Amino acid sequence: MKTWDYAESIESSAIVNIEKKYGIFLDGEFQTANSKKFLKTISPSTEEVLSSITVGNKNDIDSAVDSAKNGLKIWSKLTGTERAKYLFKLARLIQERSREFAVLESLDGGKPIKESRDFDLPQVAANFFYFAGWADKLDISWNTKGLKPYGIVGQIIPWNFPLLMLSWKVAPALATGNVVILKPAESTPLTALLFAELCQEVGLPPGVFNLVTGDGTTGAALVQHPDISKIAFTGSTAVGKYIQNETAGRDIGLTLELGGKAANIVYNDAAIDQAVEGVVNGIFFNQGHVCCAGSRLVLQEDIHDEFVSKLEKRMQSLRVGNPLDKNTDIGAINSKEQLDKISFLVNEGVSEGGTIFQTECELPANGFWFRPTLFTNAQPSYKIAREEIFGPVLTTLTFRTPEEAIDIANNTEYGLSAGIWTEKGSKILWTADRLQAGVIWANTFNKFDPSSPFGGYKESGFGREGGRHGLLSYLKVQS
Amino acid sequence: MNEIKKTYKNYVGGKYVRSESGKTFRIELKNQFYEVPLTSRKDVRDAVVAAKKGYTEWQKLTPYNKTQVLYRLSEMVEGNSETYQQILQESGLTKSKANQDIKNAIDSLIWYAGMADKWEQMTGNLNPVAGDYFNISHQESLGVVFTLNTEENSFNQLLLSILPSLTTGCSVISFSGDNSILALKLAEDINNSDLPSGALNILSGNFSQIIDDVSNHVEINAMAIYKDLTSSDKKIIRENASKSLKRIVIKPPTSGLESLLPFIETKTVWHPKGR
Repeated sequence: MKTWDYAESIESSAIVNIEKKYGIFLDGEFQTANSKKFLKTISPSTEEVLSSITVGNKNDIDSAVDSAKNGLKIWSKLTGTERAKYLFKLARLIQERSREFAVLESLDGGKPIKESRDFDLPQVAANFFYFAGWADKLDISWNTKGLKPYGIVGQIIPWNFPLLMLSWKVAPALATGNVVILKPAESTPLTALLFAELCQEVGLPPGVFNLVTGDGTTGAALVQHPDISKIAFTGSTAVGKYIQNETAGRDIGLTLELGGKAANIVYNDAAIDQAVEGVVNGIFFNQGHVCCAGSRLVLQEDIHDEFVSKLEKRMQSLRVGNPLDKNTDIGAINSKEQLDKISFLVNEGVSEGGTIFQTECELPANGFWFRPTLFTNAQPSYKIAREEIFGPVLTTLTFRTPEEAIDIANNTEYGLSAGIWTEKGSKILWTADRLQAGVIWANTFNKFDPSSPFGGYKESGFGREGGRHGLLSYLKVQS
Repeated sequence: MNEIKKTYKNYVGGKYVRSESGKTFRIELKNQFYEVPLTSRKDVRDAVVAAKKGYTEWQKLTPYNKTQVLYRLSEMVEGNSETYQQILQESGLTKSKANQDIKNAIDSLIWYAGMADKWEQMTGNLNPVAGDYFNISHQESLGVVFTLNTEENSFNQLLLSILPSLTTGCSVISFSGDNSILALKLAEDINNSDLPSGALNILSGNFSQIIDDVSNHVEINAMAIYKDLTSSDKKIIRENASKSLKRIVIKPPTSGLESLLPFIETKTVWHPKGR
């Protein structure tokens, strides 16, 4: 059958204005940092240098804490309704400037504009709207007495959904009456810097939102600061363990949203075509840079061949390329470092004996790219079946009985998310009860909402973000 | 010369067991000496094996059943209140204080018994997501919980260190130090109750001797510390816990819904709506 190819449809990047160099945002304004160290943030799709950002040091964190202390004095005197108004205004402003944010996100992080425009930004605004409304209802949020904010909260966020993770962290923290020091990921700081401008625009009291850009050393200084009473982190399990260890000597609050190796279970009575779509979305959404990605396809043996053949055909239609092209399904891998990690694990999968399928597509000459990849004939002991790859790589495992599916799905240190595909309602509920995971998608995958709690079991971390349960991450019980 | 009143044993997996080390320590009350087990590393490990089995069994019971089991335990404690009263008085409490403490303990049992089939209605909810999805968050218990009792000579405090996690469906390894007679005595009522073997295990000893063994054990899912610990002990616990991201809760609340919150995980399930 003859098909027409897509015509390019490039979103203009003229809408964004990127400074050559950025300082840090304290006391309600951009300031030159104490640190004279800078790092270059590049576009992973072109390797073009976009800007230089400050690598905040210990002195900068000290200044941020001073700023936050002043901010807390003002913020804690406001009523919940007054706090709500600031958050509602921020939500509105994000909506108004969402195209600008979306382009910036795709430029700096490499994700398809289709996703930054239609997923990330609407969700960001929704998070601020949702938590704005909680600010003056905390006393009726839980059947408990004396819930109080922690005070100064340190937040460290990853590079996969930069502004969305900012909204997951900042909106509930401010709604509950805390003030924030945020450290964005070193490879994707630009949308957080633009968000700081919005805070100025809405007149958020100085010191309520503080931003210190940097790398791991900046994050460590934030984690170690004795005046921070709560740390919220999203990132790898290894760093999460480091933070729990590093803060062991202090009585502080801690929530950790860490890695995952989600099983996407497909029973033989599933709606196969829908399941194929769901499995593709589950692993290839955002280049597979998703902690809850459905990276293990757990497939009932008798539908294996049919399913895999449909899956490969569907994968072949995924368009890999320029993130700013509105037709692009899969953008650039976020960094050279991440690309190397993905390549290493995929090579391990091949040498361990897995059968590899990769789509045929031309990859751009510059930038970091990885073809959508499927492994079949894999064993549960393989690295590709155990370790989080955080890339567009799906590993297939098979089962015969539902009990076996549960054993395979739970056979991991992680417990963030899982998927179930079957047309039988009672089987969904039976399976969901037995899966050790914080989020379970049945006949769907990778759905998110500000009102829906997100977070893991086991070594995927502790605490929830989103929903009424997300409030408890930023409130302590005053005994 | 005081007489040795009784040699107590730990209570693990529904059985009274000596410490495998054979070691005991002596607790001196007003008129009596008691010999109680000095729990060793191996004893902790055995307790975890028992608690894992107990967790599975305790989980199988419906919330309604759990309520009845805990209520039955309150009836038995009430029936034996004279024994507890005697221990408390030997520990130095006045008759009226001891009496009040036992009354409080029974009230705690009744409160948590009635909570076993209700807490999930207060912690879970439907989430109003923007789209055609059914989305519900409900809660599950964490698993095996190690609880460290306070140093108080209080039967109520002992129960308040056990009941919040037990009520959510966790299995519990309860550890007491120099006040362990009360806990070891409670084991007799637990044994006569309908609690599945291993759902509630009682150990006695010196916590500082097993602090590493407990906090390093990857099959203990959470530790709840009701006792006042030194900063350095808290640091050791949290450092060890970080190797497996064990949940640590220091001085948790002992009343209200908030007392249960440290022992549950939230599970959120999505399903599309359609025709």
